[in-house]
Amino acid sequence: MKQAVIMLIGVLLGLNSLSGQALSGEEIVKRVNDIMSPASSWAKSKMTITTTSGDKRTFVSESWSKNKGEKNLVRYLEPSRVKGQAVLMLNNADDIWMFFPRTQRVRKLATHAKRQKMQGSDFSYEDMGGGDAFIDDFASTRLEDDTAEGFECYQLELLRKPESDASYSRLRLWVVKENFVPVIIDYYAEKEPERPLKRLVASDIRLVDGIPTAMKMVMFNQEDNTQTEMEFLDVKYNLALDDSLFTERNLKK
Amino acid sequence: MREKLLKKLAAWHAVYPWRMLAMVLVLTLVSAYSAGHLSVTMRWSDLLPTEDPRTIEFNRIIDEFVSATSLVVVVQGEEKRIKAFADDLAPRISAAYDSRHDIPLFRRVDYKQEVEFLKDHGLLLLKEEDLKDLKAMFMDANLVGLLTNLNDSMEQEYVGKQESISTREKEDQAVMFLDGVENLVTSLQAEVQGDDLSEEDIRTVADKLLWGEPYYLSYDKTTLILNAIPNFTMMDLELVVLGTDAVQEIVDELMLEYPGVTAGLTGFIAIGRDEMYYSEQSLGYTTVIALVAILVLLIASFRMWVAPLLALTNLLVGILWAVGVVAVLVGQLNIMTQMMAVILLGLGIDFSIHLISGFSEWRAAGDSIVEALEKAFLKNGKGVITGAFTTACAFFTLVISSSRGMKEMGLVTGTGLLAILLATFLFLPCLLVLRERRLERKIAKRPSPAAPVSRDISFRFLGNTAAWLGRHYAFTFFTAGLLTVVFVWLGIGITFDHNYLNIEPKGITSVVLQDVILDKFDLSMDYALVLTDDVEQSREIARQYREIGSVAMVEDIAMYLPSPEQQQKRTPHLRAIRDELSSQSLRSQVSPEEVSLVRAEIERLEMNVIEMQDMAFLGGQDKVDSKCQDIVGDPEAADPENLIRSLYRTLGEREHSLLAGFSRFQRAFAPYYRDSVLRMCETQAVRPEDLPLSILDRYSNQNRDQFLVMVFPAGGIWQDAEFLKRFVNDLERVSDRATGMPSVFRALIEVIGKDGRSAVLLTLVIVFFLLWLDFRRPGYALMAMLPLCVGVLWMLGLMKISGMQLTVMNVMGLPMIVGIGIDDGVHIVHRYLEEGKGQLRAIFASTGKAIFLTSLTTMLAFGSLIFSIWRGFGQLGGALFLGVGACFFATVIFLSGIIGFLDRKSAKSPPNEGQS
Repeated sequence: MKQAVIMLIGVLLGLNSLSGQALSGEEIVKRVNDIMSPASSWAKSKMTITTTSGDKRTFVSESWSKNKGEKNLVRYLEPSRVKGQAVLMLNNADDIWMFFPRTQRVRKLATHAKRQKMQGSDFSYEDMGGGDAFIDDFASTRLEDDTAEGFECYQLELLRKPESDASYSRLRLWVVKENFVPVIIDYYAEKEPERPLKRLVASDIRLVDGIPTAMKMVMFNQEDNTQTEMEFLDVKYNLALDDSLFTERNLKK
Repeated sequence: MREKLLKKLAAWHAVYPWRMLAMVLVLTLVSAYSAGHLSVTMRWSDLLPTEDPRTIEFNRIIDEFVSATSLVVVVQGEEKRIKAFADDLAPRISAAYDSRHDIPLFRRVDYKQEVEFLKDHGLLLLKEEDLKDLKAMFMDANLVGLLTNLNDSMEQEYVGKQESISTREKEDQAVMFLDGVENLVTSLQAEVQGDDLSEEDIRTVADKLLWGEPYYLSYDKTTLILNAIPNFTMMDLELVVLGTDAVQEIVDELMLEYPGVTAGLTGFIAIGRDEMYYSEQSLGYTTVIALVAILVLLIASFRMWVAPLLALTNLLVGILWAVGVVAVLVGQLNIMTQMMAVILLGLGIDFSIHLISGFSEWRAAGDSIVEALEKAFLKNGKGVITGAFTTACAFFTLVISSSRGMKEMGLVTGTGLLAILLATFLFLPCLLVLRERRLERKIAKRPSPAAPVSRDISFRFLGNTAAWLGRHYAFTFFTAGLLTVVFVWLGIGITFDHNYLNIEPKGITSVVLQDVILDKFDLSMDYALVLTDDVEQSREIARQYREIGSVAMVEDIAMYLPSPEQQQKRTPHLRAIRDELSSQSLRSQVSPEEVSLVRAEIERLEMNVIEMQDMAFLGGQDKVDSKCQDIVGDPEAADPENLIRSLYRTLGEREHSLLAGFSRFQRAFAPYYRDSVLRMCETQAVRPEDLPLSILDRYSNQNRDQFLVMVFPAGGIWQDAEFLKRFVNDLERVSDRATGMPSVFRALIEVIGKDGRSAVLLTLVIVFFLLWLDFRRPGYALMAMLPLCVGVLWMLGLMKISGMQLTVMNVMGLPMIVGIGIDDGVHIVHRYLEEGKGQLRAIFASTGKAIFLTSLTTMLAFGSLIFSIWRGFGQLGGALFLGVGACFFATVIFLSGIIGFLDRKSAKSPPNEGQS
């Protein structure tokens, strides 16, 4: 009996491993993309940055996204100095507007702002934008499986497609086999192909509305030797969000 | 052979003490003459291997670039007063004279930007993208047009593009721009209020908009810097001192005329002078502390004062000989070898103690002078010679080190020790003989000589303790083993302090002012330096560094010499500005219709600054946020002081005077602004010979064939060891010629660490073979070495307990303690072999006392360094203090246990066993 149980477990593990083996890089990335870019979402999050004087500053914001992150709206709640300030990102952050409550004006940011740091953090607008960037901008290859952050992971390498204008030349992902959440993403730039520019480490994975969600993310900027922590305080998925939410006019509300 | 020599020497001393004394005097005079030529260097780069490229480049820069080693005057106070102070101070420093060479001490004092150069070429130096965004602001000199264009540029450059304020250089540019805006607003306010601004004041408004603040002023405008460029190099120590003292005197005098203004000196020259001064002072008084402490200890221990005085006299003569020899061998003492006198004081006194003890013992036993001296030479002298040679050899093994610091330390202390050993056998015996002869004469004159009082000055307590430990050897081994495990565990946790500022003297002005500059200017004076062979190479290397995240800012000559392509790209923009501006007519009056336009633009300006402030806060750009706060106030304050709002209100309150005020401003401002911009539109290529001397000297050598790139770190290199490593790696990745304090210190940590490890191992091996040779049995050599090995482990544990960290200074203590700590074990094992079995109590009561005294004197000498202002000396002194103490206790505990065990074993063995 004991032997039979062991054999059954062996067969099941083998099957699991075989199904894992069968997945190609493209297929894994597609699953990752589905998780990372839900149709719509709302989140309340906390982000801590380091100022140029070395002080820590924490912001709390609310954000909405639609069309798999193609449209994004971030509205700041805390501290009081930034309350009401808002950022609207459309077309996967190709178009960015900012609203300043003190002057009641909306200003459009320059087109290349996408690649720049978002509000002094180590995340760029591009990192925050969703869409199908992993699929559209990169060709993926599956590497040897690995363990990362205590999880059994698929390891993938994503190389920028020649026609893409993504700012990273290469990405390396460690994707948890169990839930397809990327627990580590290394971002490489063209100027230094061997040393990652940044590393994103995700943790505290919870199932929210049926979607596995990393509630905590830390972006390590290897170049500047800085790091930014982002924590989701609350998340909801698949909400019915009106397009009018993502308009310049709505920014001022 | 050795015995024969010693016997002859003893006899010679007993017969011809005066002749020996004369010879010593000659040797001392020669040594004193030689010692006079010994110089001192306080450069950290002089501790690295001479062939190390970082050392070579660093020394070359210091030698060839006059601006690399300037004297910096830091002036603090209210803005207007410090500017006036600087204007007064600069010509006085320039007038300071070196009468020896008949030239001024300083070739120039830089404290303002090269405004004339900027007036000619300012716009050509702007990057193309900045020109694109900012050119609108240069295209209209009339007030309405200027304000409109200013707002357009702001919205284009700063509000619409967050990137514009996201790097250090751009943040600085934004602050400079806002400074110009602030000046414009306050001047308009003054004009509208009817304050009659002078033409000069209004021109300053234009200047600040075009090229910013001319003085080297801090962000908060409370601190100003003057750079005095010397006519001498750091090599000329006499002039370093003379120049610094002369400027200090001038500054002190001027401060009396400017109450409320404070000023102090820093920079390479001032720090060099202070380091030299304070290290000499520190070593001076720590030597006195050590001497007095040792003297008191010896008087208390020997219960007489003459012998300790003789021992110290001998030691001082020995040290003088040592310094004389060292002057010939190395010629220059470095930061580490400067401590040689104090180290030799602690080690060299031991020789005299052993010899005097023996001589006094034999004399008290009734021997004649010659007999007593001979016995002292043979019984005690042999041990002294073995000990001295073992320690000296241990020090000499440091010569294999690649770092000059450690290599010279080994050479200097090893040679010094042998010089003192020589003095102990040449000078001390004459003193002893002469003293005894005098005593004999005195006693002979007495009618009834008193019987000599026999005093037992042995340490019975130490003897009894050792006997108890020996009897309970199992307990001794267990306890000592446990203690060792605890200390090893603690020692493993000891960390390395990478902050070189923690080695520097504490609290001295020149060092403190470095922190002031870092705080007020957000600029570390410990930037990296890279030599390049031409301007193009300099441009390329600077470009590569600018792309690195660990770099905050890069300066090089190419900033002032745009490349032909850069000039080609920028020229059309300059032409556009010139054409637009030339075609414009300047109006002498502001029309009533324009007043409302001015008002609208001022309101827009306020919004732009507010938005810039909000973006800066969100982006964590504190300097921009703070500057905006100066203009539009603190948004969190109940009633923020908003300069633009205040101007706006005034415009409403003084309708009647607006026209006149604006027109007055326009008449003075517009022509000057237009002429200045037209002059700045010069498209003629800038050639190296067009550059002002201050720029040339800063970035090129005197032959103008080497160019310097200065790379400023983006973080605290001394506070964050990981960042220091990263910054240095980044520097070296781009250029293998990178040098400067970050590279030099990082290399020093690596080299000294590596040297330290190899030196400890090699020293242990050499000591083992020397002892094997001396004891003829490897087992006894190991027995003598065991307390040393354990002592080193205990030392690390004790350092951890006392809150010490390893530093580049005290890490050198590890190989040194191998040489120093071995003596205790050697003396006890020697005595054990002489006395034979069953004499444990006697061994420790007598020889134990000697090693206790010698350990204590050594500890006192090293311990005195803790009082040094130079914290690095204290760190080494503290580590050695603990190390010597640990070795002594390890000797008492372990050797008592081992001897006790051997005694017990031999007692149990059948009598014939030992003979087999």
